[in-house]
Amino acid sequence: MDTIKMDLSDPYYYQQWKKLIENEGLYIENLDDITETIGIYDEDKLIATGSYFNNVLKYLAIDQEYQGGNVFNKLVSYLISNLASQNIFHVFVFTKTQYQSSFEYLGFKMVAKSRFSTLLETGDYSIDQYISELPKVSGNNISAIVMNANPFTLGHRYLVEEAAKQSDMVYVFVVSQNASLFKTSERVELVKAGTKDLKNVVVITGGDYMVSFVTFPSYFIKSRSDVVTYQTELDAQVFKRIAKSLNITKRFVGEEPYSPTTEIYNQSLKKILAPEIVLEVLKRKEIDDDIISATKVRQAIAEADLETIGKYVPKTTFDFIKMNLKDLLRRINNGN
Amino acid sequence: MERLRRTMMFVPGNNPAMIKDAGIYGADSIMFDLEDSVSLAEKDAARMLVFEALKNVDYGNSELVVRINGLDTDMGKADIYAMVKAGVEVIRLPKTETPDDVVETEKIIAEAEKFFGIENGRTHMMAAIESAEGVLNAPAIAKASDRLIGIALGAEDYVTNMKTHRYPDGAELSFARNMILHGARAAGIAAFDTVYSDVDNTEGFNHEVEIIHELGFDGKSVINPRQIPLVNAIYAPSEKEIRNAKAVLNAIEEAHKKGSGVISLHGKMVDKPVVARAERTMALAKASHLVDKEGNIYVE
Amino acid sequence: MEIKHTALAGTLESSDVQITLSEGKGISIDLDSQVEKQFGKQIKKVVTDLLAKYDISDVKVHVVDKGALDCTIKARLIAAIQRATDTQNEQNWGVLG
Repeated sequence: MDTIKMDLSDPYYYQQWKKLIENEGLYIENLDDITETIGIYDEDKLIATGSYFNNVLKYLAIDQEYQGGNVFNKLVSYLISNLASQNIFHVFVFTKTQYQSSFEYLGFKMVAKSRFSTLLETGDYSIDQYISELPKVSGNNISAIVMNANPFTLGHRYLVEEAAKQSDMVYVFVVSQNASLFKTSERVELVKAGTKDLKNVVVITGGDYMVSFVTFPSYFIKSRSDVVTYQTELDAQVFKRIAKSLNITKRFVGEEPYSPTTEIYNQSLKKILAPEIVLEVLKRKEIDDDIISATKVRQAIAEADLETIGKYVPKTTFDFIKMNLKDLLRRINNGN
Repeated sequence: MERLRRTMMFVPGNNPAMIKDAGIYGADSIMFDLEDSVSLAEKDAARMLVFEALKNVDYGNSELVVRINGLDTDMGKADIYAMVKAGVEVIRLPKTETPDDVVETEKIIAEAEKFFGIENGRTHMMAAIESAEGVLNAPAIAKASDRLIGIALGAEDYVTNMKTHRYPDGAELSFARNMILHGARAAGIAAFDTVYSDVDNTEGFNHEVEIIHELGFDGKSVINPRQIPLVNAIYAPSEKEIRNAKAVLNAIEEAHKKGSGVISLHGKMVDKPVVARAERTMALAKASHLVDKEGNIYVE
Repeated sequence: MEIKHTALAGTLESSDVQITLSEGKGISIDLDSQVEKQFGKQIKKVVTDLLAKYDISDVKVHVVDKGALDCTIKARLIAAIQRATDTQNEQNWGVLG
């Protein structure tokens, strides 16, 4: 058996790959979300394939005839070694729950699990380590907010302020998402700057665990209408695991009446967090009968409309945008 | 008595499962490969794996050979040091082009033996010839060092170099095989034939083994344990050959008993090559389980 | 010796072992093995003995064993140590003897 790197932009390999993927009941999403693909061949027959995007394994498929043997180990092992040679050692996989034990057998550990899927990880870092590194606070009434803050607006500020009023302590997790206009480090800094005066607020980077759930791969979800439910439920389970270990009892979210995805997300959260953690949905802050949103801020940046930006964001964010306007516009033009 | 080298089994140096089991198939020689079967990123790991296996795993009577990376790479020297330290019997030099390649490798082996306080000359060598240049130099390569126990044809690279492919009749290898065989025989060392990679084609494999057996090769490189009994079957002597050999050896014994220096059989004098062949035939017969320890032919 | 960065050696194939070394305080060994009950102690001993020989006292070790022989575990650990300390081509013959 030979293992090779497959170039999916070559129709010869793509057709073989697609056939195996579809035979195994997987769904092909965006090919841009694949960094590299490998194939295992028996003579001229593609019998197994696996890919990865950053540090996430994807599109693992093994021909029926070769399942249950050593091929799965070979496949996963090859992908891990490949990542290791690029100095990526902390590796995730999202999989159907029925394959959880197969991965555990290879040293993976469960991060979280929902009805549709299990998220597992292996390597030199783990969710337990992430949790152990978070600042611990005491108090009976500890709450959390998870935000993308791309960038931090007065709407976010309002949410944090309200939470801070109602809690002994508030953890603000800033979602890791480098595809955003504002880099993760910038978003974290702006949230910190914008909440500096609130003494009972701790701002934390989401790391590998608080990520945008829309990035969860769903190639293994057969029924496409289940995708958002799968993503939101799994995300909620990850949050729950972290929240419980920090004694968080309440999570605040902003109401999002016009986004069906967010509505599904909030439903999933409510269902999964209960009973230990209560979900509190806060009404959005409005300015001139207009809901504040980061989307509107980004639009205004694209138009270099400082006046509008100033209406929606705190001074700290405004100063940053003003100082980096050229750079931000360049990023927008480059497709971010 | 020269040892039998009918089969030299290739074992990828970074595969623990194959390394672990390599001893159970009865190969006359086992060749652990640090070269072509190991990817660049795994060269260091394979070296340690083979090192530990040589020191710890029991391979019975098999002769242990390691194919190192060429000295033109930065792994070659490290491979030699590790294998000498581990006590390997034979270091196989890949892609040998000239006698100098052998001499240079020998120098480093000697250096390593000295460094580790190992008796000079303990580590043997063999040279794989895999190009036109190497084939033309085969006789000189075979005589380049006292450490050499044999030379081998590596056909995959050779046919590429010759701008051809492998073919069932083996005509493309005919010259190389003869050169290597003559080089080996003139130097008094072993000659090994190349691998046959289509493991499912028993007929093709047998045909090739018959060719090299007739030519006079000591044996063949094998890449799959399934090929071992096939080679052994073809190398097994016939009952007639065994009876002849026994007769020769009996004649020697009788001559010894009589204190006579002249050995004769059926009224003809038995000379040295005939004795050597008889000994080899009996060794093959024993290895093929056709005779018992005393040389008695098993009766079916 | 000091672990300079995370390194991995070995595979998840049968009879092999995958070892990941990363920076840590003290020695911690996380072992995944189907034969942990029978051989867990022995595997850990092979690992700790070799780490001691290399004078490594701060490291996080993740071992995923697929039924490897002791000598395979040793070989993979040596490879991982050499990779984690950037000494792939500088064998420590004192330890390997």
